[in-house]
Amino acid sequence: MPTSSTQISKLLPTLFQRFDAEQGLTVFHVGAALPETVDFFSDYRCKLHFIDVLSALPLDTGEDASASRRQQLQALLTFPQDTRFDLCLFWDLFNFLDSDTLKTFLSVLQPYLKASAVAHAFSVHNRKLPQLNHIYGIKHKDTLKVRNRRSTPPGYAPHSQRELTALLGCFQVERSVLLPDSRLELLLHRQHTPQE
Amino acid sequence: MIGPSIVIKGEVTGEEDLLVQGRVEGKINLQGNQVSIGESGEVYADVHAKVIQINGKVTGDITGKEKVIISKSGNVHGNIIAPRVTLEDGAMFKGSIDMDPAEASGSKAPVVPHQSGPSSTPQLKASGLDLKSV
Repeated sequence: MPTSSTQISKLLPTLFQRFDAEQGLTVFHVGAALPETVDFFSDYRCKLHFIDVLSALPLDTGEDASASRRQQLQALLTFPQDTRFDLCLFWDLFNFLDSDTLKTFLSVLQPYLKASAVAHAFSVHNRKLPQLNHIYGIKHKDTLKVRNRRSTPPGYAPHSQRELTALLGCFQVERSVLLPDSRLELLLHRQHTPQE
Repeated sequence: MIGPSIVIKGEVTGEEDLLVQGRVEGKINLQGNQVSIGESGEVYADVHAKVIQINGKVTGDITGKEKVIISKSGNVHGNIIAPRVTLEDGAMFKGSIDMDPAEASGSKAPVVPHQSGPSSTPQLKASGLDLKSV
C-alpha cells in the first residue's frame, strides 16, 4: 500500500451535520495529529485533544490488574477538569483493547463526555480480518486520509459485533456500515448507564 | 536572533521578531511579534507571540495571537492556543489544540505536563529583547 491514501466515509457526513462551525466543539482524537485533521477542524471553533492511546499499549498490569489498568488509563486520559467532549474519534482503537481494558477505558473517559456526545469507530464484520496498520485523519466531511502507521501496535484482537455492543457501555451504536474490506464503520452516540 | 551556541534560562520579552537557533528555558513573551524556532532551536518554555513558526523542538504551551505553524521538522510537546494552526506533513505534535478564537488570548490549565522555568525573575536587556535571567 502507498504511504497514504484516501477513503470515503459514509458516516462522517451524518456526524458533522450535527455540528455548526460557529458552535464550540470539543474533540477527542485517538492517535497522532495529522495535518489534514488540524486543517479540517480549523473551520470550526474547536478544541482538539490528541492522545495516541495505542502507543501506550500493552498496559503494564501487575498483581492488581484492574486497579493498575485504571490508574494507567487515568494517567493517559488527562484532560482539564471542565473538558466535555462533543465528539470522539476512536478510529480502530477498539480492535486493540481487550474486553477489560476497553470497559475501563470508556469508564475513565465517561466523565468527560457531554450527554449529547457522538463518536466514530471502526470494527470488523469478521474477526479473522487481518490487522490494518493505519492511522486516520479527516480530509473532508466525507473523506478520510489514511496513512501507514510507523510501528505495529500490539494486541490486535477485534471483538465480534455482539461483544463490542455489550462492551461499549456509555456509547450505543446508532448506525453501522459494512465496508468492502469486511470492516465496519460505526457511528456511536452517548447513552446513559445505570450508574449515572 | 539567539544563536545556536546560546543558552538562555529565564524570560525573553521585547518588541521585535525573534529567531531561536539556540536553547531557551523559561518563557518567551513577544505578544506583538513573530517568534521562529529554527531547526537547531530547542525551547523548554511557554511561548506567547503574534505568529509562531516552529522548525525545531518546543516543550511548553504555545499561544499565538494570529497563527501557529509547525513545520515538517518541528516537534512540539505542549498545548497550542491560536485561531489558526497549521501542521505540516512530518511535523510531530503531542498535546491539545484550541482554535476557539474567543479563548485564544486567555490562559488555560495545561493538559500535557511539561517543565518550564519560572516567570518572575530579574531582567537583562539585549537589543530590543528583555532577558530575565534565573
